[in-house]
Amino acid sequence: MSPSQQPSSHNPTCLIKNRFAHRFVRALNNLNIKNRSPHDENQIYRRSHRVKIAAYAAMASVVGSKRAWSRAVLWKVRNRSRNQGLLVSSRRKRVDCKSKTSNDHHAKVSVVRRRNPNPKREDLDPFRYSGQELKLRKLVPGAATMDSCCLMDETADYIKCLAAQVEVMKTLVDFYTTT
Amino acid sequence: MNGASPECHNNIPGNTTGGGGGEVSVFERQQARMKWQQQQQMLFNGNDHQVPNMLSAMQPSGLIGNFAIKPDPGIENGWPDFSYGDQLGYGSGFDHMNQNTHSRMTSFRPPLMADQTILQKNSSSASLSPKKRKAHENQKLKVVSEENGVKEKELKGCSDGDSTETSSKEKPKLTEAKKQEYIHVRARRGQATDSHSLAERVRREKISERMKYLQDLVPGCNKITGKAGMLDEIINYVQSLQRQVEMFVSGEVSAVGYSSEMANSTYLQLNSLLEMGTNPIDMVLRSIGSPVSIPETFVVSSCFNQIQPTVTWDADLQNLYRMELQHDTSTIPFQTQKFTGSYEGSNLKMEM
Repeated sequence: MSPSQQPSSHNPTCLIKNRFAHRFVRALNNLNIKNRSPHDENQIYRRSHRVKIAAYAAMASVVGSKRAWSRAVLWKVRNRSRNQGLLVSSRRKRVDCKSKTSNDHHAKVSVVRRRNPNPKREDLDPFRYSGQELKLRKLVPGAATMDSCCLMDETADYIKCLAAQVEVMKTLVDFYTTT
Repeated sequence: MNGASPECHNNIPGNTTGGGGGEVSVFERQQARMKWQQQQQMLFNGNDHQVPNMLSAMQPSGLIGNFAIKPDPGIENGWPDFSYGDQLGYGSGFDHMNQNTHSRMTSFRPPLMADQTILQKNSSSASLSPKKRKAHENQKLKVVSEENGVKEKELKGCSDGDSTETSSKEKPKLTEAKKQEYIHVRARRGQATDSHSLAERVRREKISERMKYLQDLVPGCNKITGKAGMLDEIINYVQSLQRQVEMFVSGEVSAVGYSSEMANSTYLQLNSLLEMGTNPIDMVLRSIGSPVSIPETFVVSSCFNQIQPTVTWDADLQNLYRMELQHDTSTIPFQTQKFTGSYEGSNLKMEM
């Protein structure tokens, strides 16, 4: 992208970067508000994990629900948050009313079984789940059950957004380090 | 030209022409068809990119194979329903073919209406002039092959408007064709016209088209041809991008963690600029202020050793993050959080 593009906001990649930067910084800010300085390695690890999730979720929310991969990412994050919420609450109160598992007296881990919007249907086509395409399907979120043609579409969009994300993050880190 | 093909015997009673050598008559018929199509092309000015394909779709043996008797009753069923205009051809193949033929035929309106009425009335073919009969046959042949090709390609989900190759696309009256979700494919010369192989070919072409697009996206893939190599490259690229994300995440954790108030102010400034409704990039480009002073603990981080300082800056992004410190508006109305972290178990509010 050349910086000399005058209406730079018309460039779709530029738009994506803008929005992603906006949301990502906001998410980082939220993180920082909550936890100040990590003390030990465990906290550092958890924090980095959260930052990573923030990055992916920010990117997926920029794209919205137009793409299968963004939907899958958002679904995973949402599910994870719900599960974690249940985990926390169950540890405190041992309440399992929200979970759909019936005999969950211990309530140690109450996993909410929600309907996966992209269920893996392995019985459809075994060829799909072998070889290189399988690797690609594992890499691109939410691409496990689509046909090859749509898989290519999703991969292209995913690569585009991922590259934009990496660029923004790179710039952020550089900004923090050099200035 | 001798006259009707053997299949036409059902529909045009009384038209017993001595269609002797099947191949010869078919070939002649195809020639006549080509001429007819050329006429049509002249009529409709070649907007249809399909037409060259049509012209080249002459393969005697291939086309013969599709001339089963089966579609003819379908045609007969189809003809009488000709007057409707708004039925989506979702149901039977015949309906679809009918509609398809409708679209096809109305695009070549003048000679075909006559044929249609003639067929409907089931009059003897003796009333058909040779030219009309030829045109009718040719049209039917086209219908047959097309119907066969189309029937098997009910790709409802994946079809796009641009993949329909009907000539009626640009005709505003023929909106039925646009509503179609079938892929219309014509067999090309020298290629098998089996419906399965046609569908396969469509699918392969789609995939190769996307591969080309991916080749542009993934850097350094110009020399690689072939799906397998490309897939490998794509996989490597995606993996490397994800690894880079992880790397930067750990960098940011150290960076941002050590100066949370800096992050706050940065965020506020960024937020204020973006929420003022101005074009963010241009705005920030002009607001290059003194760089924010960052505690030294920033720089000391093991991760940063990995990150090369010689990065290629995008000027717009670079300036995006240099914000004026004086530009401090503390009371910024925070809009509804589009993304609240799920880190403490709160619900995510996503903007969809």
